[in-house]
Amino acid sequence: MSTEAIANDERKIVTFTLGNQLFGIEMASLIEIREWEAPTPLPSVPSYVLGVANLRGSVIPIVGLSERLGWEPSVLHARSCVLVVTIGGRNAGFLVDEVQDIVSIKGSEIQPAPDTEVNDQSAIAGLVKIERRTSDASNQEAMCLLLDLDALSLTRHIPELAA
Amino acid sequence: MSDELDEIQAIFFEECVEGLAVAEEGLSAMAAGDTSASVIAGVFRAVHSIKGGSGAFGHTALLGFSHRFENVLDEVRAERIAPTPEVTQCLLGAFDILSDHVSAAQHGADAPDDGHMLEQLDAILAGGGAPAAAPEPEPVAAAPVEADEFGFTPVAVVDLDFGGDADPFGFEPVAVALDDFDAGEPAGWTVRFGPSRGAMANGAEPLLVIRELESMGGEVTAVDTEALPPLAELDPEDSYFVWTVALPASVDERDIRDCFDFVAPDSLIEVTQAQVAAPAPVETVAAAAAEPEEIPFEPIAVVFDDVVVPLPVEPAPAAVAPAPQKADAAKPEASKPEAAKPEAAKPEAKHAVEVAQTIRVDLGKLDQLLNLVGELVIRGSILSDRLSPADQERVELPELSRLTRQIQDNVMSLRAQPIKQAFSRVPRMLRDLSAETGKKVILETTGEMTEVDKGVIEKIGDPLTHMIRNAVDHGIESPEDRIAAGKSPEGTIYLSAEQKGGRILVKVRDDGRGINRERVRAIAVTRGIIAADAQLSDEEIDSLICAPGFSTAETISNISGRGVGMDVVRSNVEALGGRLEIVSVPGEGTTFSMALPLTLAILDGMIVRLGDQRFVVPLANVIETVQPEPGQVQATSPTSEVIELRGQYLPVRRVGEMFGMRSERPAEDSLVIIVESETAGHVGLMVDTIDNRREVVLKSLEDNLHPIRGLGGATILGDGAIALIFDVDALVATGGASKFALKGLAA
Repeated sequence: MSTEAIANDERKIVTFTLGNQLFGIEMASLIEIREWEAPTPLPSVPSYVLGVANLRGSVIPIVGLSERLGWEPSVLHARSCVLVVTIGGRNAGFLVDEVQDIVSIKGSEIQPAPDTEVNDQSAIAGLVKIERRTSDASNQEAMCLLLDLDALSLTRHIPELAA
Repeated sequence: MSDELDEIQAIFFEECVEGLAVAEEGLSAMAAGDTSASVIAGVFRAVHSIKGGSGAFGHTALLGFSHRFENVLDEVRAERIAPTPEVTQCLLGAFDILSDHVSAAQHGADAPDDGHMLEQLDAILAGGGAPAAAPEPEPVAAAPVEADEFGFTPVAVVDLDFGGDADPFGFEPVAVALDDFDAGEPAGWTVRFGPSRGAMANGAEPLLVIRELESMGGEVTAVDTEALPPLAELDPEDSYFVWTVALPASVDERDIRDCFDFVAPDSLIEVTQAQVAAPAPVETVAAAAAEPEEIPFEPIAVVFDDVVVPLPVEPAPAAVAPAPQKADAAKPEASKPEAAKPEAAKPEAKHAVEVAQTIRVDLGKLDQLLNLVGELVIRGSILSDRLSPADQERVELPELSRLTRQIQDNVMSLRAQPIKQAFSRVPRMLRDLSAETGKKVILETTGEMTEVDKGVIEKIGDPLTHMIRNAVDHGIESPEDRIAAGKSPEGTIYLSAEQKGGRILVKVRDDGRGINRERVRAIAVTRGIIAADAQLSDEEIDSLICAPGFSTAETISNISGRGVGMDVVRSNVEALGGRLEIVSVPGEGTTFSMALPLTLAILDGMIVRLGDQRFVVPLANVIETVQPEPGQVQATSPTSEVIELRGQYLPVRRVGEMFGMRSERPAEDSLVIIVESETAGHVGLMVDTIDNRREVVLKSLEDNLHPIRGLGGATILGDGAIALIFDVDALVATGGASKFALKGLAA
């Protein structure tokens, strides 16, 4: 994702939470948000691939995003839902804790993710500060981690690495 | 508008691909010794069509090359160049460059370097042709690109100026054109062209034809607008003009006629050659001047319908009266090409008859249709599940099912294509491989007309490529080694396809040295794929070359060592629902067999339950189901069991455990499905219960995920739930004891 080229573009992101962390993905990649429904489990796949589900006749994998990013696996609750996204022509569902909001950000507001020791830092495309709605209707600034969906695509090498 | 053009251009490239396939087939036949006129004409036509289209779309590099290529082919066709093996080899080389040109034009890439090949072609033209033919292609070859500046516009202007009065300008330019020629030379060609209404309706574009004539040095000398009606009566879709074009004598008549290839047959097309004898140039001009509309020369028959092609050139009775015999004798070159004509033209006539009615359909639409029909079939079987047999009869369900099945078969056949399409790239690959390795390889193909689903054809290309590379690189020996082993210096690769039951069997067989089992074994041990003391049968050793991580690094070359090994071939084939099998006889060769499903879309399956999940066992693998008696299933180790069946012990696998589902269910409460696998013979799969049997629409996992070993895909059941489809062969193999197989399993 080259931030220079599109630095001044305004774009919409969908924000959601995993645990206490706020994340965002490009709205353009989002196909739909669906309620959690237990997927059909698969053999021989990494544990974060929770299984496959039926998206209007096509079979899509459901990924435990939290676990995929190296956090604790999500605990299912009433507001758990699945973001169905398209990554390079393929579709996948990401299990998230709670969908928050749709916000507009400018490319120039995105800061590169600092070099950390985290294994999967490549999945974080950048950091951006957004207004976050809180339960008492007041707004509060919060850091949102923008995900690089391409880095999260499920390719053949993943299960082999996991083996 | 430009979208439309893009669309037409896309069709052009599709036709190029088809044309290339035809040309390659013909050239291969020529290389194999079949140099009959129809074969050569087929190649010529294919290249000619590519040339025609490339000109229309402005792909100048492609146009230039195909034109030169065509020139040589034309000479071969006219039997002025003998199709010797050397010439054929050069033509094959030129064909490869032509393919590169086409793909460069298609992808907007830089045109390939064809200089060397053009030199070779020119050398053939210069050396191989009969003396009379030699000078002829040159002016043509020089012309192809710059043609566009010649104006169509002036003609249009003249035409408007004079309205219906055509005579004044009918003659003068002709006279000028004639003046240009030396006395004693043939006076060039006069072409009269009046597209018919039918031609216009078919999309013929007179401008393109005229441009093409101009590119050969032609010049529009007159436009006959006699037929032009008053504006009020003018039909904008008709054509009223007749153009007269003068061409230099150096142009081959065939080239002129070729310009009209795509013009409907009922159009007025006259090609005449002015034969001016030395003593009488002036009379000729005078005669022509008097009656420009009746050019006093015999037309060289250009009625396209019955392709009676050319009467030999005869001096025109009136105008050239002074020296008819002499003219004829003086110009043997001019008439000679004509003499060769009738024979060359025959295949053309045949071709015209064979035109098949086809329609191009976007593959995506077919897929969608197939998918819908698949769903229809499934809804049908759900319906029949829910209705009692009596109710089924009452609502005519059997009739409906039969119709549905017919629709399904028909839609499937729409997608079926001869496997030839996948085989077609092999000859060129072999030529490249031969050049790289110095090994001589002959290809023998059988069963290339076997029809397979288009999806299968697309996907076997890569495995096929690897198998062939592998066969040339590792199988076929060098010519010296072959002679030493008492074989012919040329290796042979047999490529075959046949339908066997519900599968297509594609085999790649070479007559090379066979698999060196000792070395394969040693490598497998070094790579840690097998234990040093492992006892393996020959077959097991052979299949090691498909084990992940196995690479014969010692012999790595830029051919087989391109980063993908036979394990990828195997997983590709398995991802297709197929199986790969290797049979090797030391010293005699190796056979790779791919058994592929006929279609990727629908599968007959048995729905089974394991825990709360449902799975599909492909019915093709099922032999019988057994409800085990107490004691019929016994453990042979803590992790393995056998079932006694009519005195035989067959291994039993608890599928649930293989899928990581623990079950304490006793064997007596389970069912054992006896399945047949290619790799492990008969094996029992233990499942909880069997739901029913039904057809399922196969949804691939790799559309959105990646292939998973042990699964052939997934399907969506009537209630919307997903059931995973077992890939029995992989499943049974992964349960096996051999270490390499376990390593192949991702988990």
